[in-house]
Amino acid sequence: MGVMAAVGGDGDGELVTPGELLGDSSKMIAGRGAYVAPNGRSVRASLTGIRRVTHPQPDAADQRSIVEVVGHKAHGAVPQPGSVVIVRITKVMARTASADIMCVESKAVREKFTGIIRQQDVRATEIDKVDMYLSFRPGDIVRALVLSLGDARAYYLSTAKNELGVVSAQSIAANHIVSRQLLTVTVILRYC
Amino acid sequence: MSNQTIKLGAGLRQDCDTISVMKAGTLRLSKPNKYWVESSHKRYVPCVEDTVLGIVVDSKPDNFLVDIKAPTLAFLPVLAFEGGTRRNIPKFEVGTLLYVRVVKANNSMNPELSCMDDTGKAAEFGPLKDGYVFETSTGLSRMLLSSPTCPVLEALGKSLSYELAVGLNGRVWVNAASPSTVILVSNAIINSEFLSGVQQKIMVEKLMKRLQ
Repeated sequence: MGVMAAVGGDGDGELVTPGELLGDSSKMIAGRGAYVAPNGRSVRASLTGIRRVTHPQPDAADQRSIVEVVGHKAHGAVPQPGSVVIVRITKVMARTASADIMCVESKAVREKFTGIIRQQDVRATEIDKVDMYLSFRPGDIVRALVLSLGDARAYYLSTAKNELGVVSAQSIAANHIVSRQLLTVTVILRYC
Repeated sequence: MSNQTIKLGAGLRQDCDTISVMKAGTLRLSKPNKYWVESSHKRYVPCVEDTVLGIVVDSKPDNFLVDIKAPTLAFLPVLAFEGGTRRNIPKFEVGTLLYVRVVKANNSMNPELSCMDDTGKAAEFGPLKDGYVFETSTGLSRMLLSSPTCPVLEALGKSLSYELAVGLNGRVWVNAASPSTVILVSNAIINSEFLSGVQQKIMVEKLMKRLQ
């Protein structure tokens, strides 16, 4: 079993491994990456990471600090069906395009996720006349919606909505092409 | 040059006010206003609407994988034949020679081929039986297909009867009744690459004399 780690404010920022004692359940609530041991009294770590203690809000009902283990890639963003992701197209084929998922909502992912955009999910109208090569090129940055967890290899993505699709690309002459929507956002941020 | 609109073809590019050359080769002009750079290579870069000779390398449920001397293998859909349905899919063995047309070609996807012309007819596309295949440069293929007929082919046709299929990807197929005719035609074609029209005729006459 693990070495006894300090309880309370001390030991914050220490590296812990699964099984290590983080504190007593009467003084701590188990947060992410921690659990209450079967005996009901100790809080132990379930992941490898950095121990972090969050002090309770002054008006919270439960006045115990929350201890969690952070820094593990399992806590990075994970694409869920219905979330909007930013992807980079890696391969374009006759009926599908493969993409590398880079951000979920506005958080960057910590590990590699692959997505596939099928011919019928590129747009909402005339889906059998879609030419994959005219819609996407390798290297394009695309905003897409996760349809489902897909198969073992990739998530299924869709760009069949007005606010989805290619947002940034490079032309053959290496000129940068940006969608008008993205340009508007950039201007607003600069003038705030 | 006076003020005119010109069309830039392969190998030429416009940068603001200047036109620069992207490939080594001969600058060609097609009246009234088309310019392009022509060069001869042993490698083939697939282009839409080119007719090429391909060799079947593998077959998948949806398409045949065909080698057309391009950087990647090309896909020939199993339904891209005249009257092709799921019930009468042709069975091509590995190594079959096909005369096909390039339908889709861009630099990030595998090229797509078809054994039909635009209207859906078979035209002359499909497998080629017997005969002899040899590889040439793309420049020689274009010369053999130029009109009026290339001098070497005309000279050969005066005294011999043979069948010829030329692929723009640098592959040529020759078929004739006897093997000696096939060998003579193939050698004549290979030798003719850098000869002028008159020299080609003289070369063919010399070869014919040897045959007799």
